[in-house]
Amino acid sequence: MPLLEVKDLRTSFRTDDGIVKAVDGVTFSVERGKTLGIVGESGCGKSVTCLTIMGLNNRRNSTSSGEALFNGENLLEMSPRRLRDLRGNDVAMIFQDPMTSLNPVHSIGKQLVEAVMLHRDVTRKDARLRALELLKAVGIPRADRRIGDYPHQFSGGMRQRVMIAMALINEPDLLIADEPTTALDVTTQAQILKLMTTLQDEFDTAIIMITHDLGVVAEIADDVVVMYAGKVAEEGTVDEIFTRPHHPYTWGLLGSLPRIDADVERLVQIQGQPPSLLNPPRGCRFHPRCPYVMDVCKTEQPLLMPVSHQPHHLQACHLDEVTKDHEAAKLLDGTLAQVG
Amino acid sequence: MSMSLNGNRPGEDLLVVDDLVKHFPVTRGIVFQKEVASVKAVDGISFTVKQGETLGVVGESGCGKSTMARCLMRLLDPTGGRITFAGRDITHLSRTEMRPIRRELMMIFQDPYASLNQRKRVGFIVAEALQVHKIGTPAEIKRRVQELLEVVGLNPEHYNRFPHEFSGGQRQRIGVARALAVNPKLIVCDEPVSALDVSVQAQILNLLKDLQRDFGLTYVFIAHDLNVVRHISDRVMVMYLGKVAEIASKEQLYATPRHPYTGALLSAVPIPNPERGRLRRGIVLEGDVPNPINPPNACRFHPRCPRFHEGRCDVDEPPLYDFAAGHQAACHYPLERWPMTADEIGRPGAALVGNVTEAG
Repeated sequence: MPLLEVKDLRTSFRTDDGIVKAVDGVTFSVERGKTLGIVGESGCGKSVTCLTIMGLNNRRNSTSSGEALFNGENLLEMSPRRLRDLRGNDVAMIFQDPMTSLNPVHSIGKQLVEAVMLHRDVTRKDARLRALELLKAVGIPRADRRIGDYPHQFSGGMRQRVMIAMALINEPDLLIADEPTTALDVTTQAQILKLMTTLQDEFDTAIIMITHDLGVVAEIADDVVVMYAGKVAEEGTVDEIFTRPHHPYTWGLLGSLPRIDADVERLVQIQGQPPSLLNPPRGCRFHPRCPYVMDVCKTEQPLLMPVSHQPHHLQACHLDEVTKDHEAAKLLDGTLAQVG
Repeated sequence: MSMSLNGNRPGEDLLVVDDLVKHFPVTRGIVFQKEVASVKAVDGISFTVKQGETLGVVGESGCGKSTMARCLMRLLDPTGGRITFAGRDITHLSRTEMRPIRRELMMIFQDPYASLNQRKRVGFIVAEALQVHKIGTPAEIKRRVQELLEVVGLNPEHYNRFPHEFSGGQRQRIGVARALAVNPKLIVCDEPVSALDVSVQAQILNLLKDLQRDFGLTYVFIAHDLNVVRHISDRVMVMYLGKVAEIASKEQLYATPRHPYTGALLSAVPIPNPERGRLRRGIVLEGDVPNPINPPNACRFHPRCPRFHEGRCDVDEPPLYDFAAGHQAACHYPLERWPMTADEIGRPGAALVGNVTEAG
């Protein structure tokens, strides 16, 4: 049984302008010890998906439906009390900006100790030892001295390490990381990614990694979900998505990436902007920007279907498979042929 | 007014920066401020930019890239060194003397939300430089602005809209149109695409390349993303803590990096290809960029360097050694080849001594 199974998840927000269907029927699952990457442009619903799973949407203006089964329990129907028990204990989350997610007026030691004592029946002294152990594990130098420091005394990369320490301190089964390295330099990003995978191996944690950086996904994920305008465009293993992508949007994303391992004179451009979710396009949501658009795309929404011979590789596009294979090969040749 | 190649011919030195220094004083006291230290943001860098080319500048945050850009624009007064733009020393020009030069020297900023005035219409924002420099009658200005909006791929009818009515990518296009308005020679782009999504980033990068081809523009392109820099640049300068670590043509830098710091940056870039990503073994740098108030002795990279040699790297500051035409790196123990495994990187060969060029 997968650790987390999300089925037909839908979240909509009531706004002054109307109802925004931010997440519209998303299905995926995460196995224990594996990493799932969720990619897409801003506003495609990747963060909202995870906030919904964690029960962190404002209940006054949002409604969710579907199922998110965590160890068989539906997170969406859980009582607030049970959810509080779960959060930070079995499921933990890391956000993009470590400065806004740490409390600036408490020392990091105090915040780490609080995280332990909320969920464990331990003395403050033991909690402190545990905090120290984690700070060492995430590679904070002189952890015993820095435990009393405040968030502003740490650099961005170090703060993100503190966040990771806090997220992992109760050995969660699932870690949701929302763009954890986007605000960091490449060198720091490499350190943090390495740290996350090492700790993952040690604790057998499942990770959901939300990012817009396909490079990061390729390095760390086992499975990938590509989202577009609140829906899943394509999902599969990392090799399937990167070597045999089956959705024109994925082609666009891969082609628009300037890359260090290939020379291209001109980047592939996805025309236009992502649509407003207040009033998404009829039919396939990608059709106004899709270079392969057909009449059927404008009226009928494509279903998420498996690619032939690849039962776990799902895609939602009306285009026939022969054309897709051909186009995907062309795209990859265009970039990979020149790999030096 | 036509938009055409102006002034210098391709291949001539448009911008010459010689030993540029910018220190920010750190003061104590409220009434009697005493300088107790200084942040050495830019500490002696030299480079030239030729007409029509793009110089990419990379480095981690805090390495002085943006300070350098602001000095080039004379938004900050350099502490030392010389900036020669189009044959004229602009290092110490007054505000009035700078004004005619500002026409030729424009900037595009990182944050398309913060860099446009929320209360002004797009037409005004793009036209402002034209008005300041008193170029054209109101009717001409309006026509020019609409022409510019079209050039950057916006609808000229949107002349009267406010910035908040546009998306991030479109705002960045407005920023580009504003920079283009007065036919500049050099555009300094400070992280122009790092706040944008990949698909929008591709649109802006393609636009910048097209404009360069059509109008013979010269760019100094600052970014922390090595993929982006590789795509847009002709030459690349790697900065570390206010110094030049390496400067080379794009091909040289990415194929045969010499400075271990460049190697570390290159191996830290995530590659969107799972197979190649898994095979890659590189240097993962430990620690952060040191404090520029009190930078390490000699080679500033030595505390983090996998090739550190005691008694050499922390004693002698490495000059910029020449490796090939136009390829210089400041390292006593340069990388012999690329790619290398972490193990090979840790075992450097003999130190360089001769072959020294006196440069920044």
